[in-house]
Amino acid sequence: MNFLWYLVVRLGGALATIIVGSFLIFLIMQLAPGDPALTVLGDAATTETIAAFREEHGLDQPIIVQYAIWLEKAIQGDLGNSIALAGKFPISELLGNRLPVTIFIGIYGLAIALVISLTAGTIAALRHGKLADTVATSIAVLGISMPDFWLSYVLILAFALSFTWFPSYGFTTPAQDFFGAFYSGFLPALAIAAPMAGVFARILRASLLETARKEYVTAARSFGFAAPFVFMHYVFRNAIIPFVTVVGLQVRYLLGGVVIIERIFGISGMGSLMVDAAFGRDYPVVQACALTFLGIVLTVNLVVDIACAMLDPRRTH
Amino acid sequence: MAAISLKATVFEIRRNRVVATGLAITVLVLFAVTVGPSLSPYDPTKMDFTALLKPPSWTHPFGTNSFGVDVLTRVLYGARNSLLISFAGVSLGAFAGVLLGMTCAYIGRWVDATAMRFVDLLFSFPIFVLALMLMLILGFGVQSVIIAIALVYVPNFARMARNTTMVVKSEPYVQAAQLMGQSALRIMVREILPNIAAPLFVQFTVGLAFGIIIEAGLSFLGLGVQPPTPSLGVMMADGKDYFHRGPWVLTLTGAALTVAILGLNLLGDGLRDLLDPRLRRRSAE
Amino acid sequence: MTKSDLTGIDRRSFLRTTAAAGAATVLTGSMLSRVALGQQRGGTLRAALLGFNVVNTLDPQKAILNSDFWALSTMFNALVKFDGQMKIVPDLAENWSISPDLTTYTFNLRKGVKFHDGGEMTAEDVKFSLDRIRNPDIKVPNQKKFEKITAIDIVNKYTVRIKTSEPFAPLLTFLSSMPTGAQIISKTAFGKIGEEGFAKNPVGTGAFKIKEWRANEKLVFVAHKDYFEKGMPYLDGVDLLLIAEETSGITAILGGQIDLASTAPFADVPKLEKDPNITVTKVPGFNNRFMAMNLTKPPFNDVNFRRALSMSIERPAIVEAVLFGEGRPLAGAIPAALPWAYTKSRDICTFNPERAKAELAKSSVKPGTEVKVITWGSGWWKRWTEIVCAQVNQVLGMKFSPEVLEANVAFQKFRANDMEAQNTGWIGRVELDEYLGELFHSKGARNFNGYSNPKVDTIIEASRREFDQAKRGDLARQAEDIIAEEVALLFCFNANAHSMMSKKVKGFVALPSQSLGSQFPPVSLG
Repeated sequence: MNFLWYLVVRLGGALATIIVGSFLIFLIMQLAPGDPALTVLGDAATTETIAAFREEHGLDQPIIVQYAIWLEKAIQGDLGNSIALAGKFPISELLGNRLPVTIFIGIYGLAIALVISLTAGTIAALRHGKLADTVATSIAVLGISMPDFWLSYVLILAFALSFTWFPSYGFTTPAQDFFGAFYSGFLPALAIAAPMAGVFARILRASLLETARKEYVTAARSFGFAAPFVFMHYVFRNAIIPFVTVVGLQVRYLLGGVVIIERIFGISGMGSLMVDAAFGRDYPVVQACALTFLGIVLTVNLVVDIACAMLDPRRTH
Repeated sequence: MAAISLKATVFEIRRNRVVATGLAITVLVLFAVTVGPSLSPYDPTKMDFTALLKPPSWTHPFGTNSFGVDVLTRVLYGARNSLLISFAGVSLGAFAGVLLGMTCAYIGRWVDATAMRFVDLLFSFPIFVLALMLMLILGFGVQSVIIAIALVYVPNFARMARNTTMVVKSEPYVQAAQLMGQSALRIMVREILPNIAAPLFVQFTVGLAFGIIIEAGLSFLGLGVQPPTPSLGVMMADGKDYFHRGPWVLTLTGAALTVAILGLNLLGDGLRDLLDPRLRRRSAE
Repeated sequence: MTKSDLTGIDRRSFLRTTAAAGAATVLTGSMLSRVALGQQRGGTLRAALLGFNVVNTLDPQKAILNSDFWALSTMFNALVKFDGQMKIVPDLAENWSISPDLTTYTFNLRKGVKFHDGGEMTAEDVKFSLDRIRNPDIKVPNQKKFEKITAIDIVNKYTVRIKTSEPFAPLLTFLSSMPTGAQIISKTAFGKIGEEGFAKNPVGTGAFKIKEWRANEKLVFVAHKDYFEKGMPYLDGVDLLLIAEETSGITAILGGQIDLASTAPFADVPKLEKDPNITVTKVPGFNNRFMAMNLTKPPFNDVNFRRALSMSIERPAIVEAVLFGEGRPLAGAIPAALPWAYTKSRDICTFNPERAKAELAKSSVKPGTEVKVITWGSGWWKRWTEIVCAQVNQVLGMKFSPEVLEANVAFQKFRANDMEAQNTGWIGRVELDEYLGELFHSKGARNFNGYSNPKVDTIIEASRREFDQAKRGDLARQAEDIIAEEVALLFCFNANAHSMMSKKVKGFVALPSQSLGSQFPPVSLG
């Protein structure tokens, strides 16, 4: 019952956040200088054609009316059409094309980061104070210190142009070629993963070390349980909670990184769509993209909180 | 266990080594950006079209950029601007965030609830989405970047300040001050702030590092600082445009940036452990 | 391409006589060279439009952006087209004639041309398409280009007659497959699909038809089996990618992810030319780059100040620094790609610090005046503005500084003349009047900054009525002399037009107008 209530409250909060967020985005886009009509009409836009364009897309109405119309349609699941980026493409179609790509790259990057950080963080904690620890920790800090866009270019220079091991540009979607997606997505995923892996490894190491000093661990050891057993059942299980929390929080940075990385590697995902739409003043597309990002962050946070609650029953209350 | 205390000692020393390394790099970087430019024989703005995009050599260790300017000299000037921008942004964010967080914790009730929902909202936007929207409405330039960095950090500082204030608020000395009839402002500044300053300071150091990355990222996308103002991001953006002809501009500028950030991160890491080992979890984000 | 290739055309005789004979030579000539090339069939060309991320519509009459046209011309033909030497040659019209009073054009259409849906292209479709672009309900800027047309008559199934109110020399160019909207669409298909559907799934006569359009990403075309040029296209299909960043375009072509790109970044041309796997084409481009100034307000309403500016910038140095030598200084609005009207140099557009300072002294503008020069886009746009500002400041002691705005905002200010100055320019236009009349006639469609001179208007109007190319060129020079002396725009440079492709791409003829889609039929991979 408690858990259900908790879920209801959280979902309600998320919904409120999305509505307020959508209004803020709407406001910002409309207040920003620039005009989608110019993107569409180009170098020979005239006063009349601009007026006609604004009327056609309802941009001549007050912002609040426009927002109300948008919201009403959005509730019915209709996100409208693109107005400046591409003909009158339904935005749902654009999102349908782009979202899976971004999610794939994001999860791919996250997976790489998890593999690296779980390995490095655990080794560092087990070999605490030894050379392995120093090396792992240093690499982790180095990972955090590298801007992902810079790393992308370095990776392209090294592994796509000097050694042509990976494609330098473009992305094969999993639908086209499942393994091709992993191959063509490797460099961008790695670029996104590097800073995350650093953050994760550090927090895991710290958390493991802290838990290892807890009394119940000492107690478990004194009962004569084997060290690997103690580590897995007492140390690791408890240490993983802050780790999962941090993984959840990183989604915000992950999605930010995707925006730049997608442009560099020519991946047609949500990030490049949003940047292009923002510059083209394609209001409804920006709106839809920003909300999708917001939705992803909220969902991940919710899932993480629930996961933590599952891992540690004490947190539910 | 004896092993643990021994380990703890080793830990301290090693950690101190981390602080030492971080401090050394940071001091070196600070020295380089303050004194360095005046040591360089080159002018950071003088264009020389006879020496466009020359590869690294003894006379130009980092090569020249697309304007024929010595990249190393530009890096020194640019890093100074990047640091200042990040510092200004994080300071602004810290000031606003701490003020907000402490007020919320101290007043509580609906003020706290409303303000914290707002913080949650900010916290739910991917940072580059947030920054992009901001650039659209404010236009490009140094001020916009500073505000963007600040906005990214307001929620972090607000949350941290609120949570720590909540803990400190119920401490006897705060309650004593309240009983003595001291004003809320005085209590917050005199009693609470000094006791929550340590974690905030650590967050500030780490924030400074990431602020530089934000500046670089925005400018790299062409959204941030604009030429001719040199910043590391602007230089990297220019390096990107001529990446295939002169890869050293982008790669070496980025390498310099990485070193500077590495120093700050190591320093932050070390300080975090020195000041309070239990902080690790709370301020990890 | 050498300049003599471009100059050796007597347009009048060329226009008057039917072009069938010429067409035969062009066809056999290109077929012979193709045999020599040993072109193979099949495969999908991965081409990229560099520097663009928007294609708005595939409806030729509603299209506006260059990227729209460069994409949609893959699927459409017009009555006439331009060949590799920028000569007008037959396309859907087999031949044509112009009446002695120069106001009636008769086009004889090719017979048996099939649309993508299998229907035959006839005079009905031509009339429908050309009437459509003149329809006031369709608010496109290109409409102005056709306003001299008074009637489009169907003589018979394969003959169309177009009448104009007065002699109008630019018309034939406007009826070509250049970005003007004169592409012929299927009347039947349009009626069936409707306007909105047609904009996404258009039906034309071109060598390729649309298969998929992924907005902001790419267009996928497949070969049109019944294309009227026998044996073509060689390819099974074309993927046309939109790549916004030029650097990414190079990365993609070096990494082998694309076969052909519509431009090449200036700085990389020398390196790419040496690359054994890459071919770079290079011709003087149809473009001009200038600083537009608000002529209605100080300081730029002072002609002496503008003259001072024009002589204070060192154009050859700008060409070196911005274009890495890939272009030439401009002494007027007309690019080198129109050699019969182009003027290579003028004193007023030549660096001369002494005269510049003298002009400044005559003006009411004081040294130290602050001016924001708006610029936009990435890479060389900013760089160009920085250099121009630096030169003006150095020679005249001004305080010019660049102000970087988003392209959209910058263009808004340019259009509204809400600015002091802005570095900008035009690209992809091939008709003289688009460089002269549209920019400098007091009623010109793209005259945004308040230039007006009755004498210039008169000369421009005369040039529109003049069909003799040499005489038109003379009129253009006369008008440009006045414009340049008054520094209506601060002319800077004209860039080369490049394209880059992998060595396996054969048969691609790059046009100085950078039109891409129309050039795919004779292309093969290997």
